[in-house]
Amino acid sequence: MRRSTAAAVGTLTGAALILGVRLSVQPATVPVSAAAAGNTAEEPEIDEAGEKTAEPEATATKKPSGKKTTAPAEQDKQEEAGLKSGTFKGKAVQHTYGTVQVTIKISGGKITAADATFPKEGFSGTINPNAVKSLNSSALKKQSADVDAVSGATLTSGAYASSLQAALDKAA
Amino acid sequence: MRHVEEVMGTVVSIELADDLPPARLTGLVESTCAWLHEVDARFSTYSDDSEVCRFRRGEIALADCSDDFRHVLDRCADLWRDTGGYFDAHGGGEYDPSGYVKGWSVEVASQRLADAGSMRHYIGAGGDIRMRGSGPGGRPWRVGVRHPWEADSLAWVLSVTEGAVATSGTYERGAHVWNPLTGKPAEGLRSVTVVGPDLAVADAYATAALAMGESGLAWLAQRIDEGYESAAVTDDGRAFTSPGLPVVD
Repeated sequence: MRRSTAAAVGTLTGAALILGVRLSVQPATVPVSAAAAGNTAEEPEIDEAGEKTAEPEATATKKPSGKKTTAPAEQDKQEEAGLKSGTFKGKAVQHTYGTVQVTIKISGGKITAADATFPKEGFSGTINPNAVKSLNSSALKKQSADVDAVSGATLTSGAYASSLQAALDKAA
Repeated sequence: MRHVEEVMGTVVSIELADDLPPARLTGLVESTCAWLHEVDARFSTYSDDSEVCRFRRGEIALADCSDDFRHVLDRCADLWRDTGGYFDAHGGGEYDPSGYVKGWSVEVASQRLADAGSMRHYIGAGGDIRMRGSGPGGRPWRVGVRHPWEADSLAWVLSVTEGAVATSGTYERGAHVWNPLTGKPAEGLRSVTVVGPDLAVADAYATAALAMGESGLAWLAQRIDEGYESAAVTDDGRAFTSPGLPVVD
């Protein structure tokens, strides 16, 4: 990829990233990536974008202010005609709420699709993993003690019969 | 006074530690059981004429459902949102609020007991417990958390005077816990216990965290600020507790 193309991709990455971020916060207001989702798989994936995005990424963080947030992808489409065809993936960018990765598809010198992936699996991405550190980790202990009640996974009537709670209830 | 009642597909254990005349305690136990059976009749997914089943078949409009029914439906929706979809009353395809109803009905039962003069009691329904006041001898209630591999051992002993303890686990045979987002069985966590003010919420949080797998640990850590402490055991036997968990040493 030429340097100018890389920069263009970077700008797009920035624009799409903003959209992606907006999307992840307010799913209802997302125009571009929702429409584009699903199209990228059909195109040959050129996985060279990963190494080239170091500077585009920097661009991404600087650029947003000048852009019309309503249709940045549109604008870029017109500006950057003549791009190499293919699907380009931006570098996965770590945010406090998770990882965002932008993919654009270029066909016939135009951006035909832009998509941003963000964490969908559980809360793994939406939560700082360091949050786990606020829990105390320890070896599992095994003990028996006088208790009034036992908390355990939901017992059916049948499983109750052999449970500690049943033993407690009998002893009472 | 201690009482055991089979209802809602499980066994409910009731202990009243109040210093009240036996006849009064018996009456309190009876009214508690009557309420739980009433809930069972209304919300059971196994009886065709329950409100849930009639609602499912479209025979009854939401506006014509009972206040309790609409409350439960609302709370299930709230909890679905609060847990990022991991607590899902529609996860099995049809609306099934059982996962909320048990904790809620016990929560209501405990409140009714308090209103009727019982300030010291616990109600445990299939391993999920709501406590109020002090236990026998005036000390806090002592609640054991079942060891996730050894049914006759405890992993923790908790000391609780006011609040709820709920546990979800993948260890109980026949009780599959599904990840509603993937449709696959939950894995990563073997057991999750949540301690907090409301049993229905504690129960839903424990279920949701278990369905999340290991990422549920980080999610649980964020519930601490809401007043819900937790203890969890991973599939490979690591144990995690929140700093404020009322563990007895």
